[in-house]
Amino acid sequence: MDVRAKLAGQRILTPMLKLVAPLILLLSSIAAVLLTDSPAPPASYVVAERTDIFTLDPQRMEYNQDLRTCYAIYEGLARWDNDTFAILPAIAETWDVSEDRRTYTFHLRDDAKWSNGDPVRAHDFVYSWRRALMPDTAAAYSGMYFLIEGAENFFGWRSEQMAEYGKRGAGERTSEAAVALRRAAEAHFDETVGVRALDERTFEVRLVRPTSYFLDLCAFGPFYPVHPPTVEEWVSVDARSGRIEQRHDWTKPPLIVTNGPYVVARWRFKRDIRLERNPHYWQPEMVKSDSVEMRIIPNPGGAVLAYETGAVDWVEEVFVDYLPEMIEEQKQGERNNLIKTPNFGTYFWSFNCTEMLPDGRVNPFADARVRRAFAMCVNKKDIVEKVRRQGEPIADTLIPPGSIAGFDEGGSITGLAFDPAGGRALLGEAGWVDRDGDGIPENGDGEPFPMVELLYSTNSYHEDIALAMGAMWEEALGVRSRLAPKESKIYKDDLKKRNYMMARGGWYGDYGDPTTFLNIHRTGDGNNDRGYSDPHFDELLKRAEKAPDDSARMRLLEEAERYTTEETLPVLPLFSYVRYYMFDPETFTGISRHPRITQYLWELEKVK
Amino acid sequence: MTGLVLRRLLQTPFIVLAVYTITFLLAWALPGSAVVNDEGRAPPAEVLEAMEAQYNLDNPVVFYFDYLGNATGVKWLGSKFGLMSYPAGAPIFNFGPSMRHVDWTVNEIVGSTLPVSVALGLGAITIALIFGVGLGVVGALKPNSFADIATLIVALVGISLPSFLTGTALLLLFPVLLGIGRVGAWGSLGDMFLPAFTLSLPFAAYIARLTRMGMIDCLGADYIRTARAKGASEVRVVLKHALKNAFLPVLSYLGPAAAYAMTGSFVVEMVFNVPGIGQHFVDAVLNKDLFLIMGVVLIFATLLVVMNLVVDALYAWVDPRIKAV
Repeated sequence: MDVRAKLAGQRILTPMLKLVAPLILLLSSIAAVLLTDSPAPPASYVVAERTDIFTLDPQRMEYNQDLRTCYAIYEGLARWDNDTFAILPAIAETWDVSEDRRTYTFHLRDDAKWSNGDPVRAHDFVYSWRRALMPDTAAAYSGMYFLIEGAENFFGWRSEQMAEYGKRGAGERTSEAAVALRRAAEAHFDETVGVRALDERTFEVRLVRPTSYFLDLCAFGPFYPVHPPTVEEWVSVDARSGRIEQRHDWTKPPLIVTNGPYVVARWRFKRDIRLERNPHYWQPEMVKSDSVEMRIIPNPGGAVLAYETGAVDWVEEVFVDYLPEMIEEQKQGERNNLIKTPNFGTYFWSFNCTEMLPDGRVNPFADARVRRAFAMCVNKKDIVEKVRRQGEPIADTLIPPGSIAGFDEGGSITGLAFDPAGGRALLGEAGWVDRDGDGIPENGDGEPFPMVELLYSTNSYHEDIALAMGAMWEEALGVRSRLAPKESKIYKDDLKKRNYMMARGGWYGDYGDPTTFLNIHRTGDGNNDRGYSDPHFDELLKRAEKAPDDSARMRLLEEAERYTTEETLPVLPLFSYVRYYMFDPETFTGISRHPRITQYLWELEKVK
Repeated sequence: MTGLVLRRLLQTPFIVLAVYTITFLLAWALPGSAVVNDEGRAPPAEVLEAMEAQYNLDNPVVFYFDYLGNATGVKWLGSKFGLMSYPAGAPIFNFGPSMRHVDWTVNEIVGSTLPVSVALGLGAITIALIFGVGLGVVGALKPNSFADIATLIVALVGISLPSFLTGTALLLLFPVLLGIGRVGAWGSLGDMFLPAFTLSLPFAAYIARLTRMGMIDCLGADYIRTARAKGASEVRVVLKHALKNAFLPVLSYLGPAAAYAMTGSFVVEMVFNVPGIGQHFVDAVLNKDLFLIMGVVLIFATLLVVMNLVVDALYAWVDPRIKAV
């Protein structure tokens, strides 16, 4: 080619190339990323989840969505009829209860298998329950195992054993020594804790005392088994601290081995999780749908749009700001896909019950009469109907009425009714009277009632409720209040340090017994954020533990609930939580409406 | 150019180290526990202590150096020479576990989410380049004409509207009303277009302004008059002579813009439910998930520095005068 023509061509081409090169680079990298994504065939139904599953390790689970997945992929000794919460057999075909009601002997079914074909053995339960009781595992629910004989002592023993190991000289802390430490702890467990595999198919549990809700716990996710060989592959013992380190690589497919109706086919972080039939499940006819996809949609509006456009079949919790408008549409008959279920939980505001605030001020709420006065001046009906507008039932008690069989079935615990005049009188009785005519009550020394600080976590509906309650107190009692919104970490920190006067709170029950709620008022309980300590209340719970029969026990617990909701008021209950599901009731079946919001994914089905 | 790249490469570790140190100090000072969740059941105190000791969360100095060594591969390298101990089978760059998402390591989280954000960011920058340069050239050809004012308005709207608004509007318009595309899904090129377009708007607007300004300057320059006098076609004058020079400021903007588009897509990811890394940048801080915070910050800082470096190198390649510097 002619040199001049070639040069001319280059003069045009090179600058163009230089400009276009970055563009080509960009496009090819996008293509590369997208090509690595492999689409799967559509699942039988799709669930929109607000948050990703945190863990597929049952012993470490605590969140609703984790437990729901647990019930789909694992199977425990027992399960519930999730419409009535009666106990049904699962891996245990039958069980015997001893004369003193402290020893349970479970007979496991012989056709139960893990998803790799291994049989489910009694030893698997021993292994899993021991894991839950090792402080190293940091299981959220280890405390629930403490009703097993020797369990609480073992937990403390192992903590001490590790602390002692940590004090040894560096030369004595070798991998061998750490492994020996673990073996010693396991041997100690087998000797002292009332959990035993009598043979391959017989599992025996001995309790500290007769506990009527023990079988309910056996149906609860954290008591489900893991596959020991799979878990053990990722366990190592830290030579430095003697601690058992558990890596969780095994919870992700294809490594995960489960024994429930489904297996995990895919799990992509904060994106989706896909379940498919477990080929080794012993009762395949029970499983209604072949596959389930859970898609993580953190944006509440996005989940509703996804439902409206047919991308998902069930929105697990509708959480949008415009929910009251949607409820109104439903009332007008414009939609039928919003399904309200009561929840096993109560929204309340906590009173700081300690004598002094951390900054040295005297805390007026240490006096139960002041707490009662404040509670009596809150018009809960207005808060639910005008502020929340989500149809929650108002609550005057901590335990949602009617949610626990055998507890207060006559409805005799009423809590405190709305009575502003009575509240004012009660505040006067506690010494707070308006003595100088400025509208604010003063104590005997003439000091005005302090500005009430209302602590809550930001970005939430608590602010509206705090404002409404503040106005009610000002009107009825002349007491002023101030909002104290904090980031959730700081809010939590303030709660633990009792650095507040009143704070928003709430509690969901874990198991079908009143103690799942009442324990939060026990002196020194990890979840007693109010610093409430009342010998009479503690005594009632202790007597209930030793009660000769279920009925006597329930009467004592009823008295404990009545005492704290009518007399001492560590919390001011406002309403019972409700949850709104979104699905088409005509084409999507199997969802339970029971307050314990437990859904078995294998019972759900898209019909038509 | 080699000298420039080399010098910048040598600076990189110091910049990243500075970012790491400042972030570490701030993250350590966050209130609350780094090992438990806010809303969950509180485990006993012994467990908390045991966990804090296990992850060096009881000693900031040990944590600082230990994490740095693990994350930058120094410890891995050290173990190859028998100088340090490093667990067998652990990745070379080990960012540690996530304390909040207990089943995942930071490496896994970043590995599954960073490519998504990179694709989204690059897609946005591509769209921004095409629209921005196009609009800028159109506007510059006839300043103050109808076309110019129209592009100005489009650019102004693009730069002013927050992406949660444009994103939601686009979401309502296309998938919901017109039935084009899917909601809350990610996996095909089609799923990527709306979020990438939303994310591109502010960048496109800025690029349009840069291009227009540069083009107006260039079109009035002597060498353009010479080119026209030589009888070069208008297309050739605009695209070859003028745009080549007018593009330089855009190019230098592209580096930070691309890095920002990859790392700052939090809102767009939220609106369109894109499984990218942006949300972890925010979530990790809210949860005080130290390993995740430090890991994401190290990666973002490296990404930003490298993108700037790439653009500087490109700049030198396009404009030979830079080479001398």
